[in-house]
Amino acid sequence: MTAVLEVSNLRKAFGGVVAVDGVSFDVNAGEILGIIGPNGSGKSTMFNCVLGQLQPSAGEVRIDGQVTTGARPCDLNRLGVSRTFQLLQVFPQLSVRDNLILAGQEHQGSMASRLFGRADAGLGEAATRMIEFFRLSHLAEEQAGSLSYGQQKLLDAAMAFMAGPRLVLLDEPAGGVNLTMLGHLRERLQAYHAEHKATFVVIEHQMEFVMALCTRVLVLAEGRIIAEGAPHDIRRNPIVIEAYLGH
Amino acid sequence: MTRLGTLAVIIAVAVAIAAPFFLKPYGIFLISTWAVLTIAAIGLNLTLGYAGQISLAQGAFVGIGAYTVALLTPLGVPFFVAFFAAGLLCFAVGWGLGYPALRVQHHYLAFVTLAFTTLVFLVLRNEEWLTNGIYGITGTARPTISGWKTSGARDFYFLCLGVLALLSLATWWMLRSPWGRAFVALRENSIRALSLGLDTRRYTLMAFAIGSSLGGLSGALYAPLVQFIEPNSFALGLSFNLLLMVIVGGSGNFFGPFVGALVAVLLPEWLRITQGYYLIIYAAAIMVMMAFCPSGLLGLVERAIRALNGRRADATTSVRAEGAGT
Repeated sequence: MTAVLEVSNLRKAFGGVVAVDGVSFDVNAGEILGIIGPNGSGKSTMFNCVLGQLQPSAGEVRIDGQVTTGARPCDLNRLGVSRTFQLLQVFPQLSVRDNLILAGQEHQGSMASRLFGRADAGLGEAATRMIEFFRLSHLAEEQAGSLSYGQQKLLDAAMAFMAGPRLVLLDEPAGGVNLTMLGHLRERLQAYHAEHKATFVVIEHQMEFVMALCTRVLVLAEGRIIAEGAPHDIRRNPIVIEAYLGH
Repeated sequence: MTRLGTLAVIIAVAVAIAAPFFLKPYGIFLISTWAVLTIAAIGLNLTLGYAGQISLAQGAFVGIGAYTVALLTPLGVPFFVAFFAAGLLCFAVGWGLGYPALRVQHHYLAFVTLAFTTLVFLVLRNEEWLTNGIYGITGTARPTISGWKTSGARDFYFLCLGVLALLSLATWWMLRSPWGRAFVALRENSIRALSLGLDTRRYTLMAFAIGSSLGGLSGALYAPLVQFIEPNSFALGLSFNLLLMVIVGGSGNFFGPFVGALVAVLLPEWLRITQGYYLIIYAAAIMVMMAFCPSGLLGLVERAIRALNGRRADATTSVRAEGAGT
């Protein structure tokens, strides 16, 4: 199988604190990889190193075989890599529709052509489809900041898909979302994955969500991978139970 | 824009066109000053209000624009060539000033731009061979355009109003394009914007450059308007005044600078009847306004309209409920 993302010996230290300590893994095309681990195990730091938000202290990241270590997030996004953040990251003063258009507009033409082109950058219909796909039609013209937390989480995820990415890294998409909305979010992610054959990497604490969504799971503790395998194996792995699940 | 908003703009344009026919020369000078400073405030509103990059340097760009025209036109350079040169020069300098914004934000950036304003002031004051230092430059000619002499107060006002209209339309166009959305994204969450493919570096530099360029174009009209420029006119006071215009009108609101500039130019004049107290009253009014309406006067208007609409909706609901109950 082709590896879309290859991470080799990735290390990130903040002074004397080593947040990510020689992590290596591959993500294959079409896979949904879950990454779990206790708080402070280095999951988000590892994401930020892979996606250019942080410069790794050592190691290498390849996307589609191309070395992207240290590349800027905007350049990675144009390569078809998208992400969500642990905390909500919508643009509260823009409408739901404008949030989605914004999420795709930089993939349309050059900067100069966007100045003289259409106000919606030709993405009006695509935004409507995405709004319908995530069942936010009744909120399309509302300011994103006025939506409930769960609705903003859906919008946040929808924005990550707007440019049609091949690789999506989702950082705790279920965090703070109620059970009804959680089921809805999982169903939408699965539907998108089935329809577009995109590759997902998902950091999540909500174990049921991970078990239902992911095809393979990595477990991080103290910056290192301590286990890897199918979700049902991970659930029974004694090292994982000791380090993370605690029961 | 809502129908009410469109109507308000049409009325404002009609008043702006009719006003000089009812005003004495000093009144026309004041509304010309309003038109000229509104251009600079629109530029600052773009940099600060939309893109969220604080700048205390807009007054310096007005100065650079004013001196560019005041120095070039006596050499025989046509006014509009000097006018565009002022805009281009400020675009380039503004682009350069944008680089610190890539590293520092908020009050740190404010201090960087404040230092730039001081630097420009010192150059204008000390480089006498170029700027004539504290003696300033007098008599910048008002242009003649295809036989239309703008030396008269009313004619020059219409020139300023025309330039303001054109630059406003250009800014409106830009802000309704994907660039406008990108500037707002830069202000609201630059990290998320970067992850969505926005080259935040280029948009930040562009926000500074275009905002500064509008400051320069404002200065290019300011020199022939006042006919005497000297370094103190472009010291920190003007930058603070332009900031005040943006904040009082409504930062990030397209029409905010128009209203803010009107308040900042006309209110001190209206308060002159209080003689020695006018600055105290002016300062107190600004403090009260900021305390109770941080989103500016247009923010206040929007809140009032929302409240009114809400009350109407409540009234309609209660009438329906009463109807249903009978």
